[in-house]
Amino acid sequence: MLDQAFEALKTYKWGVDPKSIKAIQDAVVATHGDTAARKELESKLAAVLATDVPRAAKDSVCRFLKTIGTAHSVEALAKLLHDEELSHMARHALQTNNAPEAVKALVGAIEKAPKKIKIGIISSLGARGSDVPIAPLAKALEDKDPEISNAGALALGAIGSSEAVKALAGAKATDENKIAVCDAMFQCAENMLNHGKKSEAKAIYSTVLKIGPTKAAKIAADLGVKACT
Amino acid sequence: MKTTRRKFLSSSGAATAAVGFPSIIPSSALGNADKPAPSNRIVMGGIGIGNMGRGDHGAFLGKNDVQYVAVCDARKGAMNQAKAKTDAKYGNKDCKTYADYRDILSRDDIDAVHIATPDHWHAQMIIDSCRHGKDVFCQKPESLTLGEGSLMVETAKRYGRVVSGGSQRVLQDYKGTVLRCWNGSYGKINSINVNVGPMSQPCNLPPENQPDDIDWEMWLGPAPWAPYNSKRCSGSYSTSGNSWRSYIDYSGGGMTDWGAHHFGGATFAVDVRELQPNKVVLDEKDGKKFVSLKYPNGIEITHNKPGVGQMHVGRDNVQREGKEVPKYAGSGGISGDFIDCVKTRNKPFRHIDYAINSMAVPHLATIAYKLNRSLEWDSAKQQFVNDAEADRLRNRARREPWQI
Repeated sequence: MLDQAFEALKTYKWGVDPKSIKAIQDAVVATHGDTAARKELESKLAAVLATDVPRAAKDSVCRFLKTIGTAHSVEALAKLLHDEELSHMARHALQTNNAPEAVKALVGAIEKAPKKIKIGIISSLGARGSDVPIAPLAKALEDKDPEISNAGALALGAIGSSEAVKALAGAKATDENKIAVCDAMFQCAENMLNHGKKSEAKAIYSTVLKIGPTKAAKIAADLGVKACT
Repeated sequence: MKTTRRKFLSSSGAATAAVGFPSIIPSSALGNADKPAPSNRIVMGGIGIGNMGRGDHGAFLGKNDVQYVAVCDARKGAMNQAKAKTDAKYGNKDCKTYADYRDILSRDDIDAVHIATPDHWHAQMIIDSCRHGKDVFCQKPESLTLGEGSLMVETAKRYGRVVSGGSQRVLQDYKGTVLRCWNGSYGKINSINVNVGPMSQPCNLPPENQPDDIDWEMWLGPAPWAPYNSKRCSGSYSTSGNSWRSYIDYSGGGMTDWGAHHFGGATFAVDVRELQPNKVVLDEKDGKKFVSLKYPNGIEITHNKPGVGQMHVGRDNVQREGKEVPKYAGSGGISGDFIDCVKTRNKPFRHIDYAINSMAVPHLATIAYKLNRSLEWDSAKQQFVNDAEADRLRNRARREPWQI
């Protein structure tokens, strides 16, 4: 059944019944706890990504790898990150891959990525929330393009560390990135509060109030200050 | 008017200038006993205005203390119908139409939005709305994934927004059960069963010619790209393949669609709206798999337990002291409750916290079924206990350039 499903991937275009590849999903579940079987399955899936199977097939492979991906499949997924059609689904698999190699692949793809894809990669790094280097996100925050700057800000907010706060506090808040920068700083402040760091959180809210927040952000900052008392 | 991401996240209120004022002020605009003056009305816009959105739109239009000024939909036909309905109500041509919801959020004159898009948009739109200082009424199911729930709750709290979910059935459909649970006549309660399904399925429908009526990129939004197919985006309430409600990228299927009502009713009846389960036990009886979701306080919600009826409550029938059953504020059902809370800043009946806690039940059950094993859930950390693989299924990457 599994071999047939892999065979079906070769011609898995839009319109083909998903049942033809269901055996792969079954194998994803069945191999839980069996490292060797998982590795074999992951290797077979990663190999498919290097072939010329239809887009729908590669989409599905990325979905399977989202659950079982390790360092072994990172290289195959990383090659898709600059592919306009497949970048999103490659991120779908890499965003939740616990291997440090997945972070390296995402970070490494930022620089040469076209704008829209760059925003996606930055977003995925933020969504990981930890073990992500701050520097590339801080660089994105400083980008002249406000959409990239906003993406960098929100990713830093999602991470919420002291280092992220430094990058955000040092950034030039403009009318074009202010909503994202303020929101990111709020997320950092909440993270501080959750760790009992009231004075650090209060300092962040004070910084937001100094940069001339929007009406909504002013309300949020005032609520935040109250939460610090 | 097209709002770029650049404009959308800017603090400029320039969009307001484009709204303009009616050239003739209708007498109703001056206010009277039945019709509050404009300064006392909640100014609203609607996003996703077909199907359920049409019903919600009608409910809000019927309220004297609401002024509906804008509608948005990826389908021109639905949008234009909603504009016509709004203009007919007010006897003018002032309702603005937008293909991009960010144009509505950029308007400083709008207090609140109502969202009735497919589920894959809900988190993005709720969070964006809060960041722009809007109160929100969002159709159920409020979340598509387990992970986005806490982000919505945190953002609503951060900005002090009134955010109401949209399951009118939680209070309406299970009154008898709720009353007996809350008035103490059921005695000590230990469980409640919900029968609902199916879970959503992978979608690989073939491409069809895309009609001019739909902005396909906006319809897909943060969901994975896929070719247009009428069944993929149909708003039919079917979950058997003929609508977006059938498919993983846009919905949790019947499990979350009707499940939002049923699990919402169950969590309300047994009063665990402020909690999330900490154990998800996958079991089998008579060859059928079912899930038991156990709460820290000992309550258990079962899903599809063989031989147990819908909303059956496990109890000892020893009379206990009762408590008052919560009800809607204001008048006019769940939409009236929302409007009243926008004014009072109180928590609505289906406050986003309650909505997300109840939605956690079908999301957790779905992950257990998909992985075919029992799970432990740490609600404080919003992660599974020692189960990195299950953690991976909490979230999905958003298609660029969407980010929350």
